[in-house]
Amino acid sequence: MTDTTNMSVQLYQPVPLPKPQGPLTRAILRVLPPLVVAGLLILLYAWVRAQLEPHRQFLMPSGYELWANAFSLPQVWAELGSRSLVTISIALSGLAISIPLGMLTGLVMYRYFILERGLLPNIVALQAIPMLAVIPLIQTALGFGFLPKVLIVAKMTFFAIPTTFLLGLKSVDRGALDLFKLQNASWWTTLWKCALPSSAPALFAGLRISASMAVVGAIVSELFFLAGKGGLGQMIINSKIDFKYEQMYAALIASTVLSVSVYLFFSWLGNYLFSEWHESGGKQG
Amino acid sequence: MASPAIDKKGEQAQMENQPAALSAQGTSGQGTDNRAAERPVALAFDNVGMQFPDGTIALENVTLHIRQGEFVSVVGPSGCGKSTLLKIASGLVPQTSGTVSVDRNNLGYTFQDATLLPWRKVLGNVELLMELRGYPAAERRRIAMEQIALVGLSGFENHYPKRLSGGMKMRASLARSLALNPSVFMFDEPFGALDEITRERLNDELISLYVRKGFTGLFITHSIPEAVYMSSKVVVMSRRPGRILKTFDVPFGFPRSPELRYDAAFSALCGEISISLRQAIEG
Repeated sequence: MTDTTNMSVQLYQPVPLPKPQGPLTRAILRVLPPLVVAGLLILLYAWVRAQLEPHRQFLMPSGYELWANAFSLPQVWAELGSRSLVTISIALSGLAISIPLGMLTGLVMYRYFILERGLLPNIVALQAIPMLAVIPLIQTALGFGFLPKVLIVAKMTFFAIPTTFLLGLKSVDRGALDLFKLQNASWWTTLWKCALPSSAPALFAGLRISASMAVVGAIVSELFFLAGKGGLGQMIINSKIDFKYEQMYAALIASTVLSVSVYLFFSWLGNYLFSEWHESGGKQG
Repeated sequence: MASPAIDKKGEQAQMENQPAALSAQGTSGQGTDNRAAERPVALAFDNVGMQFPDGTIALENVTLHIRQGEFVSVVGPSGCGKSTLLKIASGLVPQTSGTVSVDRNNLGYTFQDATLLPWRKVLGNVELLMELRGYPAAERRRIAMEQIALVGLSGFENHYPKRLSGGMKMRASLARSLALNPSVFMFDEPFGALDEITRERLNDELISLYVRKGFTGLFITHSIPEAVYMSSKVVVMSRRPGRILKTFDVPFGFPRSPELRYDAAFSALCGEISISLRQAIEG
């Protein structure tokens, strides 16, 4: 018999379901947290600025100064616009090289294991070379035009593409591959109808990383190439030389917006392509 | 926002509960087949052995002849090489000794998972094998719709696999194989991951497909009642290295009705096989 003398029976009350949130509450809960954090960051900025000696406060322009000396001036907007175009065209041209090249590299590594052995360590090593250390060499070799900047972006955005693509290709469901094998499907058919769609979400994770790196890469490349009419990076350096720090901040903000936009575009594209069927997709059940 | 999802769930639940499109009421009814012994052998393993590169011997001297129209189930301890037997028969993995004879151009193969391609809708998945075989699009579509109806998935053609229940995925997988009208159909524990109610329903549906299409079946399972219920013959394999220990003839005719599961003779046969399987596990 079970000994019941030490039993201590307790009563547990039911827990009613929480009230469902209205659409307004949900919208507020979505928008408010990032706004609050952004507000705190701005407060921190203002606080740090207040700690600076007055003759150094130009390093951190106030909101009013930013408006008065940059964002209220049509010529600053015009400059931001035209320079953004230059920067984005460098970034996208770089991606136009790194994406196909990266996919091709991922593909040959998938097809021939011996190439994976040979290439992958070298791709990792390539990624480990500090970019800034190579830029002077690129300048000497290729001059100061459009092409060297594009190549810098291509190098900076390359790594994530073959690595994520290869991971995706190697994670294709064994059973699905057997299914194709049982029908004597060719390697290309299997690639096209099975491995490629299956690895696309992984590839897009890599593309998102590369896309957000592309604008950063374009701006870094421009910091070293000041000849001719350049992009936002050049504007940053020029405003420093001209002591127009408000415009430097304007260029900084513009490059951030640009970078986030490219990232958001690739996120949206990935979501648009895969949300219906991929487990990570938005629509459930 | 949540309501469409709930509706969908409701639809699925209803789907699972409605009487199966093909319950085992049967059509022609083969009955106990006295002529089975005269039929040609559709799938033969002769002294088949399998050794993996790491040295493990998975199969040893397996000889098994399956005649056309027979439905044979294989039971055995985990890891005894049951699945390897199917992989060898289908050519996914070549055996390291012995011979296999089968018409590989006319094989159906159902995996442990449904292995549907998640980016294709049900219709696209059912069309896949025909697509790989180069069927014209219109014929593909027609046959796919027929098979989808046959497994009771009509109305779900345009659903992505992630929105289907486990049983429905398996039905779609069956439809995909059926589309090629295979003469030999191999099943690698197809219903192992399903709940018992869904499993028994799919057993009945598979039997009526078998009765209707008359393919030769080789069925791998862990469940003895399932093996007996489905088959005309049950093979018990030993633990690794897998050998055939004993073969049981199942004396019940086709089509089979669910009441058979409560029949005393059915239980007795399950018991016999169970004892034999226990001996297999204990060595």
